[in-house]
Amino acid sequence: MFDHGQPTYAEVNRDVLSSMLETGPRYWILLGTTMTIAGVFFFMPWIYQLIVGVGAAGMNRNAVWGTYLSNFIFWIGLSHSGTLLSAVLHITNSQWRKSIYRSAEAMTLFSLMTAALFVMVHVGRLWYVHWSFPIPNPMGLWPNFRSPLMFDVMAITTYLTASSIFIYMGSVPDFAAVRDASTGIRRRLYTIFSFGWRGTAREWHTLGWAYTFFAVFVIPLAVSVHSIVSWDFALSIVPGLHHTIFAPYFVCGAIYSGTAGIVTVMYMLRKFMNFERYIGQVHLDNLGKLLIVLSMLWTYINILELFTTWYSGTSFEMEALRFRLFGFYAPLYWEMILFCAFVPLLMLFKKFRLSWNKMLVISILINVGMLTERFIIVATSQPRKFLPDAFGFYFPSWVEFSITFGSFAIFTTLFLIFIKWVPAVSIYEVKETLTPLRRDA
Amino acid sequence: MAVLATFKYEEDFLAGAKRVKSAGIGELSLMSPLPLEEAQEVLGLGKSPVRRFSLAGAIIGAVSGFAMAVATALVFVLPTGGRAIISVPPYLVITYEMTILFGVLFTLFGFHLVSGLPAWRDRPYTPESNVDRFVVVVEGADDADAARAETILREAGAEETRRVEDSQ
Repeated sequence: MFDHGQPTYAEVNRDVLSSMLETGPRYWILLGTTMTIAGVFFFMPWIYQLIVGVGAAGMNRNAVWGTYLSNFIFWIGLSHSGTLLSAVLHITNSQWRKSIYRSAEAMTLFSLMTAALFVMVHVGRLWYVHWSFPIPNPMGLWPNFRSPLMFDVMAITTYLTASSIFIYMGSVPDFAAVRDASTGIRRRLYTIFSFGWRGTAREWHTLGWAYTFFAVFVIPLAVSVHSIVSWDFALSIVPGLHHTIFAPYFVCGAIYSGTAGIVTVMYMLRKFMNFERYIGQVHLDNLGKLLIVLSMLWTYINILELFTTWYSGTSFEMEALRFRLFGFYAPLYWEMILFCAFVPLLMLFKKFRLSWNKMLVISILINVGMLTERFIIVATSQPRKFLPDAFGFYFPSWVEFSITFGSFAIFTTLFLIFIKWVPAVSIYEVKETLTPLRRDA
Repeated sequence: MAVLATFKYEEDFLAGAKRVKSAGIGELSLMSPLPLEEAQEVLGLGKSPVRRFSLAGAIIGAVSGFAMAVATALVFVLPTGGRAIISVPPYLVITYEMTILFGVLFTLFGFHLVSGLPAWRDRPYTPESNVDRFVVVVEGADDADAARAETILREAGAEETRRVEDSQ
């Protein structure tokens, strides 16, 4: 599992903690850059939109949903990486997950936060967003729980809560390691964070049980979250959206995009945080194989979606399909097919699967394709509803382009802050994969 | 008084722990830098009561989730195209989410209750047990028992034994 020989327990502590405790100028420059990009490209246009109204975006009467919601789906999808790798592989006791799951869980959390921001951007009047929660209020107003949008509020709140607890509880023993290696205010902070953890057999035993239950709860939750996101669309009667296949389609796409996202993040961690020793060929190889399977599943569902639409012969559905395949956004559709159905096939060859640079390019292309997929779902369906007099057109405004670009900087900023506060590689779980030191060795 | 013995090798640590346990001296704690099933077996830790919290949370979440959806619909009546005010199928989705939310929250509560954490008071501890050493702690021993425990643990291969104050 280790490309450069097995480390000792003490080396694991040293390597992981040094990535947190030693910070060079390169980190601060990168953090400053991402924060500036987030401020200029995300928050400033958002403030502009808050001042002038949602008319600043390209949405119109015939297309009331736009890039903000397609980005919301994209970021929710990316969040499924942590759940798949951490929870599913924890329950199936896969050893190779142990070096990379913490970062995958962090991806889950920060993708969700970015996704939640897009809901706030989309709703326009941000100051009324609390109306969507069941909070007692003087107006006697309560949310309508028959609406899929309210399913979403409940699902995402639950997912955010569960993911935060999942990553925090898995990190408690490592917080204790940071506490023991620190002094001053950092030591005091990590004493609080680690709850006074000593690593007794009773503590490990209780954590093990609790963590397994968290994993058991989080897996169906993740599936439900993206199913519910798909129902935002599929429970409408809009042609191109009203498909029963949407829930598995969205879940599969989410896991696919999330796994590709993990490859990108693993590359960065190896390159910039010196984790070459812990994130090696075995991880790349396994993630590559997983991506091939997901790619084929995703392709199958896409073909199925086309087939069932064609087979129905309904004129409304056929028009939505024609617009998607040959209309204004057709180049984006075929780009998505190229990046998500054909490019991943390169990973069938070991020389692609075992090359970090090639895998980085493939993983980025997959996510470009997945971002496009979500845009196509939104932009080619609503403007083609039933009667031609209701037909319209949607094209994002500069505000939407800018906010989309800025969201990547927000995610990167959150991740950069995370790697300095939480060990990005789980210290104790890496130790579990090592051969114990023996007296007679 | 507590005896704290540090081991380099996992096998020695487990052997020492078993011998102290069978000698019936004081209250035994075993600290390690990673979870060890064998250490949990020495202490006889079986199924954790945390699972009961998870189940209770899930049940309470399911009931309260459905109740919340029904109650809010009755308090704020929103007739839509003659549809039922209390509509069970969509409420099952809310019930599902609340089942998981409460299950997770109760599991967290159960973890804290069962593990006794947070515990920021002074307790016998050595930071090496979080790096690469295995530590046996024998608490609540008088002088004679402490000496006996030290002898057993040194014979088992402890690198170092020392006496410290019991947990406060």
